[in-house]
Amino acid sequence: MQSVPHADETRGKSILHRIWYSIFRSPPLPVSELDRAQSVANNFFLHIHSAKVHERALRFKTTLGLGLMTFFTFIILVVTGILLMFYYVPTPEKAYDRMLDLRSAVFFGTFLRNMHRWSAHAMVLLALLHMMRVFLTGSHKSPREFNWVLGVFLLLLTLFMSFTGYLLPWDQLAYWAIVVGTAIAGYAPVVGDQVRFILLGDSQVGSEALLRFYVLHVAVLPTVLTLLIGWHFWRIRKDGGLARPREDLALAPAPAGTGSDNAPEDAPPEKEER
Amino acid sequence: MSDTKLSKDRPPKEGNSRRRVLGMIATGALALSGSALGLLTAVFFKPRVTYGPPQKFRVGKPATFTSGSEIAYQKQAVLVRREGNQFAVISTKCTHLGCTVNATDIGFECPCHGSTYDRRGSNVSGPAPSPLAWFLISLAPNGDLVVDKDKKVPAGTYLEIKA
Repeated sequence: MQSVPHADETRGKSILHRIWYSIFRSPPLPVSELDRAQSVANNFFLHIHSAKVHERALRFKTTLGLGLMTFFTFIILVVTGILLMFYYVPTPEKAYDRMLDLRSAVFFGTFLRNMHRWSAHAMVLLALLHMMRVFLTGSHKSPREFNWVLGVFLLLLTLFMSFTGYLLPWDQLAYWAIVVGTAIAGYAPVVGDQVRFILLGDSQVGSEALLRFYVLHVAVLPTVLTLLIGWHFWRIRKDGGLARPREDLALAPAPAGTGSDNAPEDAPPEKEER
Repeated sequence: MSDTKLSKDRPPKEGNSRRRVLGMIATGALALSGSALGLLTAVFFKPRVTYGPPQKFRVGKPATFTSGSEIAYQKQAVLVRREGNQFAVISTKCTHLGCTVNATDIGFECPCHGSTYDRRGSNVSGPAPSPLAWFLISLAPNGDLVVDKDKKVPAGTYLEIKA
């Protein structure tokens, strides 16, 4: 890209200057529109976001921020979950005691566990509210229908995360919830009993089920969820940014070809004016 | 420079070229090995050895049960009933959603959603869709009673032991 400073540009500058540009490639406090756009585009963590968004997308009323809130609860869950993993042991003999120790003996353990628990509840709720907002604003319609499909998978993964995490305290509530929950899986026609057996790793809820649910909860599902979240966000850009009403689209100037990151990649410009 | 020379000699052809056939073979081989791997992984998740309580287990000598008794085995979720010299094993796993039912004077009752069963294990009321299972009980060569939860028997099947 044009933004990478040439070696002779940084030559003779201070060491701090050279270190900064070796990492970020753009000035620390951008003043021009171009610099601002580039500091977003050149940053690994920010580049998933469009360099330019429509004014309407920035209004709180447009989305109520529900998608991002869901994402942030996921971040909280990853951070607190990893910390909880340092003290938790997924065996029937130890799981319950370790959970109690987390609440009584670990510094800030109660806070961590409660953060994890409440964020998990919040994530399910926020994901549902986010879907409701998307549906009610018609944002699931073409060309964004595949992102809706991704969203449905994200919801299912979120629910499955919630379900697998529910067993881990290994108390009576958890145990019987999973007995009942996996019995529901057993009701599936033909393959029901097999699915239940594979899910539990045994014919009843025991050490194998606890181990399987733990691995699903801390490794398999978060990885899949992270990948799908990345895909979900990327699709927002590729589908032309957040959905806007037609009268807004009609007023909007035609996408300027190379400059617009918001335009759908292969969409003809006349599509915008429909 | 050699690149331009090559492309001059052999201009890219449309349609069924050798490259296209090789590509199709490679794609087919990848799909085949991919689905084979998927199948193997699916088999991997079905355990051959389980570590929970075994499906077949001994409950002791017939003499340890008194006539008219019903002894519940919590872990295995079964109940051993003796009436006279007859023995039977009835599942205490509710057929609704798998909670453990309790024996009552008139049969069984599930604490979770209130399903009730009569003494034969037939579902009488509540959400339970089917009767409680009866399992095979037999005598081992050393005289121990053996319960096999993998083998279901019709309700009302008793094992007669000579006193």
